[in-house]
Amino acid sequence: MRQMLKQALLVFMIASLPTLLWAQVPVSGTVTDGTGKPVPGASVRLRNSNLGTSSDANGKFTLTLPGNGGTLEISAVSFKSQTISVTAANATLSVQLTEDVGKLDEVIVTGLATSVKRKNLANAVATISSKDLTGGAPAQTLDAAMNGKVTGAYINANSGAPGGGISIKLRGVTSVFGNTQPLYVIDGVFIDNSSTPAGLNSVTGAARGGSSSNQDNPSSRIADIRAEDIENIEILKGASAAAIYGSKAAAGVVLITTKRGKAGQTKVSFAQDLGFVKIRKLLGNRTWTAERAEELGGNDAPTRAARRQEFLDAQAAGKIYDYEKEMYGQTGFTRNSSISVSGGGEKTSFFFSAFQKDEEGIVKRTGYRNSGLRLNVDHRLNDNVKIGVSANYINSSADRALTNNDNNSVTFGVALSSTPSFTELHPDALGNYPRNKYSASNPIQSRDLVTNNEAVDRFVTGINVDAIFQKSTNSTTRFIGRGGIDFYSLKTTALFPNSLQFQQVNQGTNVQGLTRSLNANYILSLVNNLAASPNLNFTTSAGITQEQGDYNNLLNVATKIVAGQTNVDQASALTANQLRNKYQDNGIFVQEEVGIIDAITLTAGVRFDKSTNNGDPNKYYAYPKAAFSWNLTNSILDGGPFSNLKIRAAYGQAGNFPAFGSKFTLMNIFNIDATTGLLVSTLRGSPDIAPERTSELEAGVDFSLLNSRLNFEVTVYDKRIKDFLLQRPVAGSTGFSTEWVNAGNLRNRGLEVSVNAQPVATKSVRWNTTLNFWLNRSKVTQLDVAPVVLGAFGNTLGNFKIEEGQSATQIVGIDGTNGVIKLGDAEPRFQMNWFNELNFLNGFSLRWLFHWKHKGDVINLSQLLTDLGSTTPDYDDIGADGKAKGPARAALVGVTARPFVQEAGYLRLREVALYYTLPKMPIDFIKSVRVGVSANNYFTSTKYSNYDPEVSNFGTGFSTGVDVMPFPASKRATFHLLVDF
Amino acid sequence: MKNSKIVSVLYLLALMGLGASCKKEIGSLNGSTIEELSSNATKFQLNNVVTGTESGMRNSIDFYLDAVGMIGREMYRFAGSEPRYTSDLLGGGNATLNNNTFYLTNPWNARYRVVKNCNILIDAANNSTLIFPEEKKGYLGFAKTIKAYHLLLNLNLTYTNGVRIDVNDPDKLGAFVPYEDALTQIAAMLDEAKTDLTGSTIAFTLSSGFDGLNDAAGLIKFNRALAARVAVYRKQWGPALTALNESFFSLNGSFTTGAYHVFSSGPNDQLNLTFFPQNNTGEIRLAHPSFAANITPGDDRIAKATLRTSAASLDGLTSNRDVWVYTSSTASMPIIRNEELILIYAEAKINQTQLPDAIVALNRIRTGHNLAVYSGAVTQAALITEMLFQRRYSLYFEGHRWVDMRRYGNLGQLPLDRAGDDVWEKFPLPLTEN
Repeated sequence: MRQMLKQALLVFMIASLPTLLWAQVPVSGTVTDGTGKPVPGASVRLRNSNLGTSSDANGKFTLTLPGNGGTLEISAVSFKSQTISVTAANATLSVQLTEDVGKLDEVIVTGLATSVKRKNLANAVATISSKDLTGGAPAQTLDAAMNGKVTGAYINANSGAPGGGISIKLRGVTSVFGNTQPLYVIDGVFIDNSSTPAGLNSVTGAARGGSSSNQDNPSSRIADIRAEDIENIEILKGASAAAIYGSKAAAGVVLITTKRGKAGQTKVSFAQDLGFVKIRKLLGNRTWTAERAEELGGNDAPTRAARRQEFLDAQAAGKIYDYEKEMYGQTGFTRNSSISVSGGGEKTSFFFSAFQKDEEGIVKRTGYRNSGLRLNVDHRLNDNVKIGVSANYINSSADRALTNNDNNSVTFGVALSSTPSFTELHPDALGNYPRNKYSASNPIQSRDLVTNNEAVDRFVTGINVDAIFQKSTNSTTRFIGRGGIDFYSLKTTALFPNSLQFQQVNQGTNVQGLTRSLNANYILSLVNNLAASPNLNFTTSAGITQEQGDYNNLLNVATKIVAGQTNVDQASALTANQLRNKYQDNGIFVQEEVGIIDAITLTAGVRFDKSTNNGDPNKYYAYPKAAFSWNLTNSILDGGPFSNLKIRAAYGQAGNFPAFGSKFTLMNIFNIDATTGLLVSTLRGSPDIAPERTSELEAGVDFSLLNSRLNFEVTVYDKRIKDFLLQRPVAGSTGFSTEWVNAGNLRNRGLEVSVNAQPVATKSVRWNTTLNFWLNRSKVTQLDVAPVVLGAFGNTLGNFKIEEGQSATQIVGIDGTNGVIKLGDAEPRFQMNWFNELNFLNGFSLRWLFHWKHKGDVINLSQLLTDLGSTTPDYDDIGADGKAKGPARAALVGVTARPFVQEAGYLRLREVALYYTLPKMPIDFIKSVRVGVSANNYFTSTKYSNYDPEVSNFGTGFSTGVDVMPFPASKRATFHLLVDF
Repeated sequence: MKNSKIVSVLYLLALMGLGASCKKEIGSLNGSTIEELSSNATKFQLNNVVTGTESGMRNSIDFYLDAVGMIGREMYRFAGSEPRYTSDLLGGGNATLNNNTFYLTNPWNARYRVVKNCNILIDAANNSTLIFPEEKKGYLGFAKTIKAYHLLLNLNLTYTNGVRIDVNDPDKLGAFVPYEDALTQIAAMLDEAKTDLTGSTIAFTLSSGFDGLNDAAGLIKFNRALAARVAVYRKQWGPALTALNESFFSLNGSFTTGAYHVFSSGPNDQLNLTFFPQNNTGEIRLAHPSFAANITPGDDRIAKATLRTSAASLDGLTSNRDVWVYTSSTASMPIIRNEELILIYAEAKINQTQLPDAIVALNRIRTGHNLAVYSGAVTQAALITEMLFQRRYSLYFEGHRWVDMRRYGNLGQLPLDRAGDDVWEKFPLPLTEN
């Protein structure tokens, strides 16, 4: 490896040898928009070189071209790009850019080192610009900021806990037990997005009963990345677009480009947000009466009398509490400050940012803090060689409380579910919390004493080398090397002091996890651009890639702890667990793109991948791709109603490697009486486990009408997953509970329609609007094993079932004499979003985003728990059958799972924001001042009965959409101040 | 210049090829694998598997005791977040036992996991050239004894639905063997284990739960105690008595002599999860009200169900007594103990109509628990009733009541608490077995 880097460096030094002194042409110019206003930050580049600059605040630029001139490409975000031939004779330019409503000139990365303009693109690639990401009502974390903004994605928040935790599934179910989440790549660095449980299970016992899956509600590590540093996100939704990423791309790829400096005057920006966060919806409490309190005593006369008396006493003393509000009703204060400095000269440019976000949660003692630094530096050694370096340090800390399912009645929700509002949970004058008679824990005490913290220190650093080492009139060859490391150390602290009601047996529990994760990757490629004729262009790329991961998690569980002490050694019982993952994947790729008369683009490529996670670590798997797009308006159609018309089709394959260790059957440590023992694992390995393979065919038509003020993008896709990985339950009599198999095939088909328009474009009012519609249908087309139920708590309460011929996300359950039948489907019927930006009154900007998820079911067991605990707000309401609703629902346990499978569609105003840019600056060194107010999740219309239709007890895996006492969802309101110097 | 560029491009491409062909095999990082044991295991490895087997015997034992304890109407398990204890297990309303729910799948799989470990131990011992033949016999005898015992526990759940006996090859599982045949094969397996243990050397260490039974002679006694239990299940009264004589049975000995599961908070050890503090709320094990209602006044076994400061209710069920059999999170749990053996002796004698011998044994139980000697009718029927009554209190929450009532066709006598409740005869076969 080191040897190779040396060689790469050599190549790159040769390429950067000083070139001969040529004649020079000094060029200067001004870039303006349609109304004559200057366009700052427009990129001005010399074609086929790394030479370029950008326009300043007044739209002006200067650039010295070598030789006798050349072709300049001038581009700016949301404008169509222009090319201008420059010679000494016309060296002063006045460039007027026209607005690009349909984003046709947006440059989309299609290879590992190549890109094309959207108007020639063969795939429907979703992009999120910086403005769309954070320019409205910013969410707490990056993953949340993407919610509702990606056509073709099913994005679902696991809970409202501070610090994120969001599942993103692109174009349906791509895997059942493999990785379902897309690959994240930031500036060429592959980012770890795993979720590391904090070991809460040792206290909650959640995985002991119905489901052995993790239910600790950890956040996903992508949440660490700061959304405000991002310039642009591209989402390659399936294998047809992402095949070149090979075996990591089955679930799609999210390509993130961070902000970079531009030549010109140094710009200092300061941004300050202040706001608050509140619970989105309180469910309320059951209204208690003496009779209802008495019922809690069951059929034991003294207990009945005692319950009745307790209620009467509480009522007389005015001590009927709203515990739900006390637990979840805090208004959290939020602040987010950042300063960024960017600028640069002809050779070197930089972007620097420093930030801190500090947010309280809706539960006392919860919150999220994220601070960090970023430095992106670009340096041009000469006309041919450019190096970019990015370095990012992040420190984040999330206090996430104790929620979700448990089997010991200790999480907040489970404890509250059986706690009536007339019992006393508050500490007495001496600070002693009363024992909760109605549950194993006192939630007020738990809230005040339990700590559940995730703290992360993370370094992401990458390098990007772009060296032109062969250049002739019609051919350019570049070496492009990208790579970097993503390192983090995660410390989880779960502290349960011995004074807690539920720690009587364990006498205090202290669970500390230390995780060290190092990921490194590189892509080395050669790209040749050959203009065979003015109408025929070839882009050839080839290269190698390598990705390595090393994950080491050490979890210490100490019990019988010394009061007040938080070190794990301050205890008399200590159990350590360690989990390690390590892999190395190698790939080789080649890709050829042919452009004919700037209208027809043909692409073919293949990637070969091998992985140490495969049964055979030395076997290469091939992932081919091919794509075709024909822009008719650039070729045969001239005039007519279409200002742009393109047909396109793309096919590609991608893979998903098996999880680490799936080829081994382990012997687990099971000791007794201080003697070391080995007991066979419940998971049977599969020595010949192979990656699952996704192949996707997508086709579409894109067209623009009314001089590109109305743009349509219509895409259909058919995505097939072959040999999908399944951890299937096996006959218990084998001695195992589950085993890894390549179980069968499944298919996703879908439709994506995007309409983009500029209905109003006058001097004073400009309104841009985008409406997206998408749907997905999945089907298990082949299953080589018996149908598998998974993902929740068995048929009695409803769970998922992988069954041939059925939707992969169907929910089945018992239903009286019908036996086990399909009761619902987690897949939304369709989704829509509606994005708007309205600029008016010279300086005002109003942005809003609606997101509509139509239908799609959730297994709601929270309501069941409150029904069983007799605390549901509508417990006593009379239903259609003339019976009280709560007991009627509870009586159906074991009879039918129908009541638990609930529709969870919603219409949500995810973001609304109003900004105002001050017309005149008070002091001349201030360049611009913007103020704004925004609201996030402030309006939701849903039939769903629990806190939020977005929920997942099991985190980000396959089975999102199981609701067991989550951390409630919140809404946010923020005031913004942005000052540029 | 041009040449050197071309050379360097070729160089680079060649290196790319090299880099891609770097080979690496990363082994299992998180523990030893099953394969490592099958090829010439060392004594250390074999002993690890013995200890793992003993440790694993405790897995999900709480689920087992809760399931059979509730169906046998010994106790109630209330859980704030798990409705199926009080619905499915008691047949509340229209609820029935499900074939894919934790109360069945957890203990069922845990037992077969131990069976698998025993099979791994048998294979490993057979393939090892590093142990003496006598030592090998010790490993085999232990493995077969534990395997037979665990098959019996699963057979208790599924009863006439049977169990699989031949499960050594996970890809070719043997057929389900019906109840009577399964019992016969389990008995034969115990006999085979006894043969192995005879003349063996025990090269492994067992926990303190096997104190007094941890050498070859002791393990034979343990094996025979289990054989006696299987014999009475098979109504083989003579062999039951023979087995008792070779076991640690002692008519006048301590009730508590026997083999136990022990618990500790040591690393990767387990706590006794059937323990809840008295007067716990939310997560509770309560004695079925009939336990106190039916007990003979003065019986000291009332201490197994202590009075709560206030009754607990859930789902239409109420009780004012906690189950108080395992009184700390490290309290031992019997596998088999002398009190059961005395009752097995009584049962065998009653069924052989040697009633006076039986009465001696029953009186040993009665007087041992602060009761007067038996004064009821001296008939086989009456003594069977008395024997079952004593078993109910002596072996309370040790997993016997339901099985005993089923053996004598008395499930209909178990009390129903709510209209619509059912007493189940057996569990369905787990979904994954079909």
